[in-house]
Amino acid sequence: MISKISVRGVSKSYNSNAGEVLALQGTDLEIRQGEFVSLVGPSGCGKSTLLYIVGGFLAANGVVQIDGKTIIGPGVDRGIVFQEYALFPWLTVRRNILYGPRVRNLPPQQCDEVADRLIDVIGLRNFEHRYPRELSGGMKQRVAIARMLAGDPAILLLDEPFGALDALTREAMQDELLRIWLEMRKTVLMVTHDVNEAVYLSNRICVMSARPGRIVKEFTVNLDRTRTREAIVLSDEYNRVRNQVWLSVRQQASTVAAAG
Amino acid sequence: MTRSITDAAIRLSPIAIVLGIWQLTASLHWVDTAFLPAPAAVGRALGQLLSGNEIRDNLLVTLFRALAGLALATVSGVWFGIGMARSWVFNAIVSPLVGATYSLPKTAIVPLLILWFGIGSTMGIIAVYLTCLLPIIVQTYHGVRATPAVLVWSAQSMGAEERKILWQILLPHALPDIFTGLRVALGFSFVVAISAEMIASTKGIGRLIFMYGESGSYDFMFAAVASVVIAAFFADRALLALSTRSLRWHESHAGANPGVAA
Repeated sequence: MISKISVRGVSKSYNSNAGEVLALQGTDLEIRQGEFVSLVGPSGCGKSTLLYIVGGFLAANGVVQIDGKTIIGPGVDRGIVFQEYALFPWLTVRRNILYGPRVRNLPPQQCDEVADRLIDVIGLRNFEHRYPRELSGGMKQRVAIARMLAGDPAILLLDEPFGALDALTREAMQDELLRIWLEMRKTVLMVTHDVNEAVYLSNRICVMSARPGRIVKEFTVNLDRTRTREAIVLSDEYNRVRNQVWLSVRQQASTVAAAG
Repeated sequence: MTRSITDAAIRLSPIAIVLGIWQLTASLHWVDTAFLPAPAAVGRALGQLLSGNEIRDNLLVTLFRALAGLALATVSGVWFGIGMARSWVFNAIVSPLVGATYSLPKTAIVPLLILWFGIGSTMGIIAVYLTCLLPIIVQTYHGVRATPAVLVWSAQSMGAEERKILWQILLPHALPDIFTGLRVALGFSFVVAISAEMIASTKGIGRLIFMYGESGSYDFMFAAVASVVIAAFFADRALLALSTRSLRWHESHAGANPGVAA
């Protein structure tokens, strides 16, 4: 069976003031259709870099394939949400969501249907004509997710999507994402530094090493996501995996501290 | 309502104070009114001038030169700025020229322009154009360069290609900076259009001011200057209103419309 996303032998270096820095080295990752995979690891391990490479925003050595085809740049098959939201500040909530459908010249009626449906999904009907600067962080992130979903991409790339939110808003947003994923069965690749978040949401968690980053350990998470948050978080399986992942990330982080 | 009246009174008071002191110096003969005519005399001269066509016709000529030069500079300045921000080759070619000419007082080259283009409107427009070009190039370049990569990436992942990235992402992002450049350029445009007319012209408010000065009609000279001040003030207000309207989305307007906390 062909993987939905296939990353093979990917390396990436970039120039900094201190000379050439190797961010990723020989990274391999296979993701099946409909899987929810999280990348965790010490900060600066290149997990966001790997996500941007899969997005086609950064060029790298090695092979990245989607459905068996090597990518050559960004594509509408891969939607992305950034930690800093990246909404277009000069467009209202509605026009931000409409951006993708309009760029791809969908018929106006269809554009409006998509926008109306997603505005209801994120519950911002009363804010659809507001500009991003008038929204709270949680609202902005909901708009960013709706804007990504408007293009109906097969793959969702999430770069620490809830990192800037307060704890309560973050949990609500995680539940919303989980609901969307259960409903639409998209393939998801998420970067996070929050181990609890990774375990709560993912089928599989990949722990990355300190720079130069590569995937050093994988954990499979077998949880029934249709249960309530309380049931999941209090379950033995959740805590068992959480502790293992946490220890593994700590080990990687301590090698950074020792080396630094 | 009372608030806005108080507000207007506070804003107008410095002008009133200056006019009052000016009138006082004239009335009390602190200075020779031949060199500094009283505001009342200037007002009378202005009334006299405005009833004729002289001020209007010359002011229209100057406005045409200033605004035509500014418009051409805006279009090409934005284009240059984008080009420099997007292509390092173009940047390498253009930026030394921009750097070398940035602080040059452009009125210094007016005699050269007269030599090449004569003393008509063409020369005036070119002088204004060259002056206004630089702040607009610099601000556009800065605004485009400062566009966060995540905005461009977001647009790309939704299917926007190069042209749409330019028009729908880079230009809107640079718009606040472009308006900053435009406001600086607007001020320059009046200065240079009038200076060029003072150096050599057969028409325009600059020539009128110079002519009245030469002939010693200082009340008329002050009246002509006043007409320019008023025109420039309204041009600046008009640009500010346009910028406020176009940038409602921008952070700088956050005070005008309280944000939502949730």
